[in-house]
Order: sequence, then C-alpha cells, then structure tokens
Amino acid sequence: MPESGFASILSNKQSEPKNGEQLDLFLQTLINGLLIGGVIATFTIGFQLTFGVLHVIDFAVGGWVVLGGYLAYYISALLKLDGFLAIPVAFLLFGAIGYLIGPILYNVRNSRTARPELMALALTFGLFTLLRGGMLTAWGFNTHSVPTALSGESLTIGPVTVPMIRVAAAVFAIVIAGGLFLFLYRTRYGLAIRATAENRQNAALMGVNIRRLSANVYGLYAGITAMAGVLMAAIFSVNPEVGLRYTLFAFFVAVLAGLGSVGGALVAALMLGTIEAFVSTYVGSSYSLLAIFATLFLVLLVSPRGILKRGL
Amino acid sequence: MASTSSPQSGSAPENRASDAILAVRDLYRHFGGIKAANGVTLEVGRREIAGLIGPNGSGKSTLFSLVAGTVKPDSGQISFDGHEIAGMNAHRIARLGLARTFQIPAMFDNMTVTENLLAAAAQGHWHGAKERAAETLALLKLEPVAENRASDLSGGQQKLLEFGRVVMRQASLILLDEVTAGVHPNIRKIILEAIARLRERGISFLIIEHDMEMVRNVCDRIIVMDAGRVVTSGAFEDIVRNSEVMQTYLGRPQ
Amino acid sequence: MKSRWAGLIIPVAIVVVLALMPTFVNNYWLRIATGALMWAGLACSWNMLGGYAGYINFGQSAFFGLGAYTTALLMGDPINLPFFVTIPAGIAVTAICAVVVGGPTLRLRGAYFAIATWAFAEALTQFANVMNFTGGIGGLNLPPFLNERFFYYTMVGAAVLTYLITWALFEHSRFGLKVKALRDHEAAAEAMGINTSLVKLQTFVLSAVTASVFGAIFAYWVTFINPKSVFGGDITDQMVVMVLLGGLGSLRGPAIGGVGLFVINRLIWMHWGDTAFYIAILGAAIVLVVLFLPDGIAGLFTRRSTKSGTVLDKAVGKLVGGGEGGRG
Repeated sequence: MPESGFASILSNKQSEPKNGEQLDLFLQTLINGLLIGGVIATFTIGFQLTFGVLHVIDFAVGGWVVLGGYLAYYISALLKLDGFLAIPVAFLLFGAIGYLIGPILYNVRNSRTARPELMALALTFGLFTLLRGGMLTAWGFNTHSVPTALSGESLTIGPVTVPMIRVAAAVFAIVIAGGLFLFLYRTRYGLAIRATAENRQNAALMGVNIRRLSANVYGLYAGITAMAGVLMAAIFSVNPEVGLRYTLFAFFVAVLAGLGSVGGALVAALMLGTIEAFVSTYVGSSYSLLAIFATLFLVLLVSPRGILKRGL
Repeated sequence: MASTSSPQSGSAPENRASDAILAVRDLYRHFGGIKAANGVTLEVGRREIAGLIGPNGSGKSTLFSLVAGTVKPDSGQISFDGHEIAGMNAHRIARLGLARTFQIPAMFDNMTVTENLLAAAAQGHWHGAKERAAETLALLKLEPVAENRASDLSGGQQKLLEFGRVVMRQASLILLDEVTAGVHPNIRKIILEAIARLRERGISFLIIEHDMEMVRNVCDRIIVMDAGRVVTSGAFEDIVRNSEVMQTYLGRPQ
Repeated sequence: MKSRWAGLIIPVAIVVVLALMPTFVNNYWLRIATGALMWAGLACSWNMLGGYAGYINFGQSAFFGLGAYTTALLMGDPINLPFFVTIPAGIAVTAICAVVVGGPTLRLRGAYFAIATWAFAEALTQFANVMNFTGGIGGLNLPPFLNERFFYYTMVGAAVLTYLITWALFEHSRFGLKVKALRDHEAAAEAMGINTSLVKLQTFVLSAVTASVFGAIFAYWVTFINPKSVFGGDITDQMVVMVLLGGLGSLRGPAIGGVGLFVINRLIWMHWGDTAFYIAILGAAIVLVVLFLPDGIAGLFTRRSTKSGTVLDKAVGKLVGGGEGGRG
C-alpha cells in the first residue's frame, strides 16, 4: 500500500529535537494533533448521525472523503483554482449523490426480506469496495497534492510553529461542525433528526417521515464528509487507498464514543488526532496505524459500548 | 420442587397465592426518568391462570421482560419455582422452565414453521421433539403451512406459531403477552382450548390481556397494574365491583 | 420432480470428477482447480457465521493469515516441523484469537462485531508489516514442495470436509437450529433456553479455524507469503462476494459462488493481469447482489415459499416501494 504521507508529513516538519526543545516538540505535536482531530470530527459527527438515523455503519465513509479530495485536486489541477474553492462544490455534488443513495440504503435496511441489517452492512461495504476499485481504475495509485493559497505558509505562536493550512482547515472544520450543531439543536428539523436517532419508533409515532429523513441525513453526511475530504487533501494529499484510513478513523471515533453518539464523537476525534500525532512523532509513522487499530481493538474488548458515554 | 417462598410482610397481602410458582418482591427498574417497574410485588400460584391488566405504559410488558431476564432489574427479588432468578440470563431462566411470548410476534423468519417449533425444543427437550412438533402442529391447526417460512404467515398464524413454540418448551410457567390481540375468533378459540388443556397438565400462566371477555373467561385471578406498581388484585367479579378501578383502568374502550 | 436418486447422483458425480480431475487436466488447470476448491472452502467457512448465525465478519482474512503464518513459521528454520503437524498448531492459535476477538464483541449488535473483526485483521496486517519474526513486508519463505497433485488432493479433502461439516452441523442438527434461531430473533432464541453468546462463539471459532486450515495449505502450496497476500482485506472482500453471490446462509451457494468467482478472477487475470478493475467488479457485484438478488444464485433455484413471489419481483418492489408497510 503506498504511504499516504499522512504521518510522514507530520514528522518531516519537525527538526530533530535538541536539548531543551522537548517541551516545544510536545506542544507542537499536541496542537497539530488537535487541529487534525478537528477535521476528523466533521465527518465522524455525520457518520454518527447516519448510524443513529439509518442504523447502518457506513463503510463507504472513507470513499466519500477521498472523492472530496479528488474533486479538490481536479479543481486545482484542471481549472487552476484554489483548492479550498472545492469545499462548497463538494458539499453540493456529493450531498446530491448521497441524497439519492440514502433511500436505497433505507429500503435495504428496512426490507422485509431476510437479514436486513446484514444486507445494509454488506451494501455499504460493497459501495466502499466499488468506490475504491473504481478510483484505482480511473486514477491509478498515484498520490496527488492539492495546492491552496495557504500551502507552504506557517503560523508561529511563541515556540510553536504550525502549518497555516492546518489552522485554516481547523477553522473550516469548526465552521462546518458549528453549523451542523446549530442545525441540530436550533431548528425543528434538527430536532426531528435527533429524535429519530434517539428512538425511531417514537419519531415515527410523532409523524416523522423516516424514509425522507434518511435521504436528507445521508445527503448531509455525504456532503460534509466530502468537504472534510477537501480539507484532508489540502493538508496531506490524496490517493484512492487512503480511504481505508478514514474509514478506520470513523470506526475508531464511533467505538470510542459509542455508536450513534454525536457529542462523544467530537471528543473522540480530538483524541484520535492527538494519538496519531504523538505516535508518529515519538514512535514512528509506520506504527501509527498499528497503534490506532490496536487501541480501537482494545477498547472494543474492554468497553465495547464505548468509553465516552452517550452524548447527543 | 416445593415452593420455598416464605410469607413476607408484603404491602398487598391479596397478591399472595397460597403455593406460588412465581413470587416477585419490590421490583424496581427505571429507564431514565420512566419508572417502568416501581416496586412491583405479585405472586402466581401453581396451576393458576393470572391475568395482568392495566393501561398502556403501566409496566406490564416490562415486568415480563424483567421476569424472563431480557431486562435486568435495578433491585428486587424474583423467585421462580424455588430459584432466585432476578438478574439471571434469559436462557438460564428459560431452562428452569419459564416460557414467554412477545408482544410483537418474535418469529424465526427464515425458518419453516416446523423448524420454528423444533428450535424451541433444541435446548433441553430434544427427545421426541419431532413427534411433539407434529402434535403441536395438529393442536394449533398449522399443518397446512408446516413447510412455509414463518415470515410468510399471517399475523394470526404467527401468534399461533409463537404460542406453539411455548408449548414445545414444556414449561411450568408460561407468560403470554396479548396472545389473542387482533386475531381471528377461530384462532382465538384454538389458543383458548390449548391453554385449558395445558392447565390440566399443571402449567401456570401469567397473561397480559386487554380483552375483558377473555380475562373473565380464562383467568382465575386478576392483577391490576398502573405506573409500574400493582394496584390491586383479586377475582374478576371483585375487581369489576370496585367502581374506582373500573373507571380508572378498565372503563376505556378497548 | 425431485427424486431421491437425483439427490444422490449429483454429489457422487462431483466426487468422481474431483477424484479423477488430475488425469484429465494439465498442471496449469490443476492449479486453478486447487485454487477454486480453496475459495469454495473459504466461502463456506465465512458462510458458517455470516449466513447461518447472521454476523458479518469483515476480518476473516486474519484467520486465513494466522494459519498461513503459523505453518510458515513452524516449517521454516529453525523449527522445521513437518507440514501436517503445523495445521493443529495453526488451529490452536486461531481458536484462541477467535475467542479473544469474539468473546466480548459477539454479545453486542452486529455492527460492533463487524468493526472488531475488521480492525483485528488490519491490526494483524500492520503487525506483520513491522515485526521482524514475520519477515516484515517481505514476508516468509517455506520449504518448496512442488507436487501439484498433493496440494490438489489436500485441498479436495479440506473443501469436502468443510462442506460435510456445514451440511451435518448447520443443516441437520440441533446445533444448526439454535444457530439459525439466534440469527432470526436473538431475544426469542434466549427465551427458548438457547445460550446465544456461547452458540455464536462456537460458530465463530469453527468458522475461523476452518479458514486457518486453508491458510496453512495455501502457504505450503505457494511457498511464499507476505502480509498482503494472506492478511489483505481483498481476501475477505472476495469471500463476502462469493457468499453473497452464491446465496447467504445456503449450503450450496457459497461453494458455487466460490468456484464461479475464482474462475472469473483467473480469466480476468489471464487477459488483463493484476488489475484494480477487479476490485471495482467485486464492489459492484456486492451492491448488485444486495439490491437485486438478496438470496443469491441459490435463491434462484429454490422457491422457498409461494407468497414471496420471484426474486425479481421482490427486488423491484424493494427499490420502488416504501418498505414501511405493516406485516400481513
């Protein structure tokens, strides 16, 4: 599997720690980790909502991230535009596609034929495999970077220097996540979504059309995830194989937070970003995936319902 | 096998049967703010058919789940046939001789009707299961659909099949959750006859039921629940005479 | 329509063909036949848990790989054990891992189990990638044994045994009834006295152990393994497609799907080499089967009930209809 440069960028940016710079390195790693965690939070919140409403874990989550990244790449490479301009386009385009896929997923999950839960899981798994194989076929194994106006700039606060692009991405992420939270907690429709995620029977009794709601939520989630993909591609780079990582990230967050928990997802995503940054910096980037898988796995064994109790 | 339940200083002495197969004491279970079981105390005697009535949300089905082990109680005791079963796993309680139906028929959808019956006997009662499955099919008049998948049955047939699985368990206490609700009178008749026959074999019943006619015909004693507690219990006629209870809990259209 | 003889003729014919295969075909096609049998067996192993118990395992390659690596480590220097001794060792390692993975997660809803198995397989891949004793990304070599007929007949034995175990245990025993009952309604199965956690774990261990045996044979056969070739997610992907294509939870379906898809795989490989296009085909196959053929190929031939209508009716209805209607 080609190295995505996910972790290597982190470690390349830092010079060898000299005496007395240990604390700076620690701070730098922490801030880098939190910034990435913020971006991860955007799509994992959507992932959690989707589970809450549709009762499906979406293996395709990494696929949507990568598609957003490729959109940014093509907008910057072919149209010579700033990569960040892809953000609204990604939301509209993949939101629309997700809106079309949502009802199909809902129908499979709620079908009266055998084993709907399995079939829905298999469907998202198949979708993920199809996206990955399709992208590999169309675009090959090459890794692409997405230039933006901020690429190469960096921000120095005291002893800590962080790439400007990460700060910008984190700001975008906060705006997206903030907008999502406002929507969920300050609008009637957001209330309907939360009610459905809490208890589908009650929501149905209250007159919520869960089928239409599912389409909207899946569309919203796919759009947000693709936007996160633009940010991730701008920070790191994009190739079809990195989708696996993002699916892993979503699972990691979901397991730590408890499947369906939106509030816990934010905390878990920040934890994930931090763990990944620290392992990459202090142990080595080739161990970061192993560390994440192992942590995920241990959490599943020790406290399978999640260690951060239900938020929402 | 004798009941070991000793007389206790219960709050409602009329809840006690002389020789109880099931004795529930001070059972509590809260879901968030909802007090589904808020100090339930009741008994079911051997060979007794006890009816459990009360408005929707009064905690009847939760009580079934607590007794059957699907839901764990916050506190309280449940004694079944001499065993303390509160907090025990559902399958262990079932092995002690307790069987139940679910409010929504819990079919093994992708298995045939016969397989559904055999599956009920797969744990512990396998000897002669095939013959008993054939008898049960005959008893419940399910022979024509014996090889159909359970998911293809009508709602009434599914209720019958679920009842048939309970019969296959050879239980000593059977919990029935609205087993005749919304079914055709013919099917209801089949079920009522089967209940009568099982009682002759010494089996006890606790039945959740909304249909007062059925309660009157079948049950020896009625237990009234409201807001997670047992309000009163006694013979059908006594309960009916108590106009307050009637007004509050029974006077509503079914 | 179906006489007692027809039920016997087909299995006998298959056994005869399998037994005589090496006299008909050259080594090239014998290798393809060996591979087809392996995949049929792996698909059957996945189907034990996925089809009969209803728990999707997205990390079955972990157990295939554990069998392969155990055999490779024990046959190589400095231990040099004979091949058939390494198989029970692989079974033991796999069984322990399956209990550790499945014990806590099988109690929960299927989604957690799917994630746990997937994470386990990926963690093992990464582990094998970075450790020295596994040879890292470079992998391990085994002592070469170039006897195609030996591997063919070993694979026949393992595949037929897997099929017979599935037939006896899941289709013709109390155990099978318990497994299918818990798949269809776990709470009701518990209410029938079935210890669902235990039965699920037993099924999972059996499924995992079966995959490890094929992994052991595979390692000795190809004489060289690396993390990608035995732990890779594509291995699980392929098993899932084979089972779904053939028919989830049916006896014959996974075997048919395994042989069929492997032959297609080889034909694609012959024409286009190693191509990412195959991954896209796998994904598309899963999506299409879930949407239009939920009972798989096996479902086309067995009309299990009169009310359900044809598979096509169902699929069209599912895509068009709302799916929220009440039960008749």
